[in-house]
Amino acid sequence: MIPVTWRANFGYLLRHPWQLALALLGIAVGVAVIVAVDLANASARKAFLLSMDAVTGEATHQVVGGPGGIPEETYVQLRTVHGIRSIAPVIGGYVTVADTQLQLMGVDLFAEQEMRSFTAEASKSTTAGGTNVEALIRGFLTEPGTVTMSRRTAALLELEVGDRFEVIADGRLHNAVLLGVFGDADAAGLDRLLTTDIATAQVWLDQLGFISRIDVRVDDGDNAMVERLESVLPDGTRLLTAAGRTRTTADLSAAFMTNLTAMSLLALLVGLFLIYNSVSFSVLQRRGLIGIQRALGVTRGELYVLILGEAALIGLVAACIGVLAGLWLGEQLLMLVSQSINDFYYRVNVTDVVANPLSIAKGIAAGVGVALLAAAVPAIEASSYHPRLAMTRSTLEQRTRRLLPVVALAGCAAIVVAAAVLMFSGRNLVAGLSAVFLLILGFALCIPLLIRVISRTLAPAAKRIGGTLASMAISGIAASLSRTGVAIVALAVAVSATIGVSVMVDSFRGSVRQWLDQTLQADIYAGVERGSMDPAVLADLVALPGVENYSTSRRSFLEDEDGRTQLVVIQMAPDSYAGTEILDADPAEVWPAWESDDVVLVSEPYAYRNGVALGDTIELRTAAGERDFRIAATYQSYDINASALLISRSTYDRHWNDDGIDSIGLYLADGVDAQKVLQRIESVSAGRQQIRFESNQRIRDLSLEIFDRTFIITDVLYWLAIVVALIGILGAMLAMQLERAREFAVLRALGMTPAQLGGMITLQSAVIGLFSGIAAIPLGVVMAYVLIEVINRRAFGWQIDMTFAGGIFFSALLFAVGAAVLAGLYPAYRAAQSQPALAMREE
Amino acid sequence: MTAAPPQIEIGLHKLRRTYMEGRREHVVLDDINAGFVRGESVAIRGRSGSGKSTLLNLIGAIDVPDSGEIVVSGVNLTKLSERDRTLFRRRHVGFVYQAFNLIPTLSVADNIRFVLELNQVDARAASQRIDELLTAVGLADRAASYPDVLSGGEQQRVAIARALSHRPSLLIADEPTGNLDDRTADDVLRLLNDLVRENGGTLLIATHSARIAASCDRSFQLHNGKLEETKVEETMSRSDT
Repeated sequence: MIPVTWRANFGYLLRHPWQLALALLGIAVGVAVIVAVDLANASARKAFLLSMDAVTGEATHQVVGGPGGIPEETYVQLRTVHGIRSIAPVIGGYVTVADTQLQLMGVDLFAEQEMRSFTAEASKSTTAGGTNVEALIRGFLTEPGTVTMSRRTAALLELEVGDRFEVIADGRLHNAVLLGVFGDADAAGLDRLLTTDIATAQVWLDQLGFISRIDVRVDDGDNAMVERLESVLPDGTRLLTAAGRTRTTADLSAAFMTNLTAMSLLALLVGLFLIYNSVSFSVLQRRGLIGIQRALGVTRGELYVLILGEAALIGLVAACIGVLAGLWLGEQLLMLVSQSINDFYYRVNVTDVVANPLSIAKGIAAGVGVALLAAAVPAIEASSYHPRLAMTRSTLEQRTRRLLPVVALAGCAAIVVAAAVLMFSGRNLVAGLSAVFLLILGFALCIPLLIRVISRTLAPAAKRIGGTLASMAISGIAASLSRTGVAIVALAVAVSATIGVSVMVDSFRGSVRQWLDQTLQADIYAGVERGSMDPAVLADLVALPGVENYSTSRRSFLEDEDGRTQLVVIQMAPDSYAGTEILDADPAEVWPAWESDDVVLVSEPYAYRNGVALGDTIELRTAAGERDFRIAATYQSYDINASALLISRSTYDRHWNDDGIDSIGLYLADGVDAQKVLQRIESVSAGRQQIRFESNQRIRDLSLEIFDRTFIITDVLYWLAIVVALIGILGAMLAMQLERAREFAVLRALGMTPAQLGGMITLQSAVIGLFSGIAAIPLGVVMAYVLIEVINRRAFGWQIDMTFAGGIFFSALLFAVGAAVLAGLYPAYRAAQSQPALAMREE
Repeated sequence: MTAAPPQIEIGLHKLRRTYMEGRREHVVLDDINAGFVRGESVAIRGRSGSGKSTLLNLIGAIDVPDSGEIVVSGVNLTKLSERDRTLFRRRHVGFVYQAFNLIPTLSVADNIRFVLELNQVDARAASQRIDELLTAVGLADRAASYPDVLSGGEQQRVAIARALSHRPSLLIADEPTGNLDDRTADDVLRLLNDLVRENGGTLLIATHSARIAASCDRSFQLHNGKLEETKVEETMSRSDT
């Protein structure tokens, strides 16, 4: 049976259902956001790992080559000359079927049995039937273009075994036939995977004579095998662990995911203020009840536990609601998260949120933890009440006023600690984000004192302008600081986040736009989505009438134990060097050396991440083994995968066996109509290779579109934080309305009309919004600075120029006032309905 | 020659007011008929829960009866809309409560100014009136103080000043001395009577106290929903002693 003391207190909450509902809602939204982001991140990562595990199969290691792949003789020699049997060649790439991008894996079915079971599994479903793998092998070898795919992929593409369909690889069209399907209906790891014979893959991906990697299966602890393999591998190849490769790829998106998590924590932080407000209000409301309980012998400790227990229960219930909402929200966020990951990092096919217990546990712990944290101060307050029937409201407010300087001092201390963490935490992103939260907390603690000072300053002016009513509206804020202060803080934090994030995004966008303007010098860009351009098509394109010059580019990757190094290989058009901004050297000296010597330029993010600078050397694995390259300069790049080395085509050709070109930039002669050239490109490439070509302007627009898409999720998250803050304002205003019910009734009895009373409350809400906006501006500016100079730099290595869009502060003020007024409408309506008869009743 | 009968300022005709207690109807006021003339002080006595406050709420235009009529200064309150009742209250009624009900966020002077502003008294005239009233209630030096630093008696004197600030024709006081000690209660009562007479308004006091009732011109007793006038001689004689 529940003790009477508990029943007495819970009874109070049940009699104030709106108050309980707001507290639940505040935490639930915060928890939902955390759970959703966590689930979306975890699901995307899990889907990727699952897919990598499925594709990797039994392989423990992989031999990787340079950008052009590994000569197939290397595989043959390993197998025949060195007698290493547990290896299998793989060609990997991407193809498009019916506008759906699929991962293509070219395999040797003879060798496959050592590595993957699913490739052979397709034999069960061949039209020939039976379980004999030979039927599958025969199909692969005798009929070009035969493929197998996972059962789910076939269902997605609406294909059945025996169907013929078209595949676009490297921009060229090929005919394919579905020989069989593999995997269970729920084998998500094999989604969007197409397997074919290695020879077909070589043709489709234009990699004749080369393979992408060699999968190796080494028994546990067989170091001798590893050493043997390493000793016989030719120059330009390297043996890596499969797990390590998967991890380093997955880690590419780590900073992106960490930033999302930080945004989700912001929503919970705002929720923390909200629950503080609710719990502290419920304690204040029950001061009479608490006084009676103390008088009757309930100890301070028992009261403390009682209040905390109540908060924990609210937190638990809210967290459970939040988890359920988070599962739904996670589905929505997953689309945005996977879109960004696909745009910038690696391919991931994920459609369903996996409700992993860890994310749910984290959400519940966060909800209960935040509720307990928020309730700690009100619980101390309640347990300190004297055992008498009631404590006057003014005493409580006096106590709050006395605490203000102490609270502000604690805020200043938090700001100092945050600054210290920022200064001394090096490049640690998590430390940077922690400092941001500490900074917000510090500012938040200073706000109540600020409100008191401002409202005391403004009240006389308000009286002169708007009379006693206006003065009452403003002085009422300072007089009920224990209530209004927290609401203002919650809204200020949410609005400052919008300022901080908006300034960061606007500044970033401005920098990217400027960079695009400078970098995109050619009039037209043409290339293939994946793979290489057909040399014959390329030759015809650059020879088109009106084309004066051209540049080429190739993006390739070198892999080692620490991850991938991106090489951006450029053949510059004459006079186009200025498109790349050199940050730390004289361009006149850099470019000639870059064209002729073994030098590279490093992008700013690469230099930041790897701690290298002008004059250092970088060791790169070339076709002829490791070679040192001198860093001639650092260049600016806002490419999301901007951690790269810029290398000249001539240098690249000297060291790597890869003549592929991804795209070209065409420079047109003066007066040539770009549209006509675009039409000619279309006719030249038609039927030969699918070439994507766009004008300079279109590329800029597309780049900015992708940029904007990346920040949709950020927008969604900070809007959710604002929703939490609005609930806070609504709660605070309703609380005030309830608490001042008698005062309002007196005002009504004295002759204030409902409209006047409602107007006064609305004015008060507007002033609360104004105060929040004023408090949010300095915090927003500091947040923007930290986001740009610390978080973005640590996460991505970008250096962004901070700029403030005109009117952003005014918009923030307007937004804060508008939001507060909106949240205050219902409480104003309620106050306006006050019954003057209440004033006649004795307390 | 006989004098003309005094003009009825407040007329109550067949008033009935009930409340629902669950599904049961509780009759608080039943068939109340009375008339109060301008300038007199009237005590309404009765036990707790007898309906005194309900009756004052009806006369003060705060509440409306289920049936019957209330006419104050020629205005039938039962015919007024909620807004018009509010405006009527604002202009013609002053309230003094047992719990003082001062606005905690306003200073003493501003508590009074608040009512004057509602009645659109210009700032200079309002300041003069505030000074005048605070002097009259003996709190001229506490104009800038806030209610929470005043004693109960001081707060009630501010409440009286506020109630009379706009010279209402009707002053309603609900247990005005209920929270005060006897001596302070006497001071407050004397002040209330003096100021009401000075302003020429009608004073209605709800009270338990026979002593307070005796100090009024007339006294009524509320019992079982009925209002009965008690003997004036008896009240007067008690007052004389």
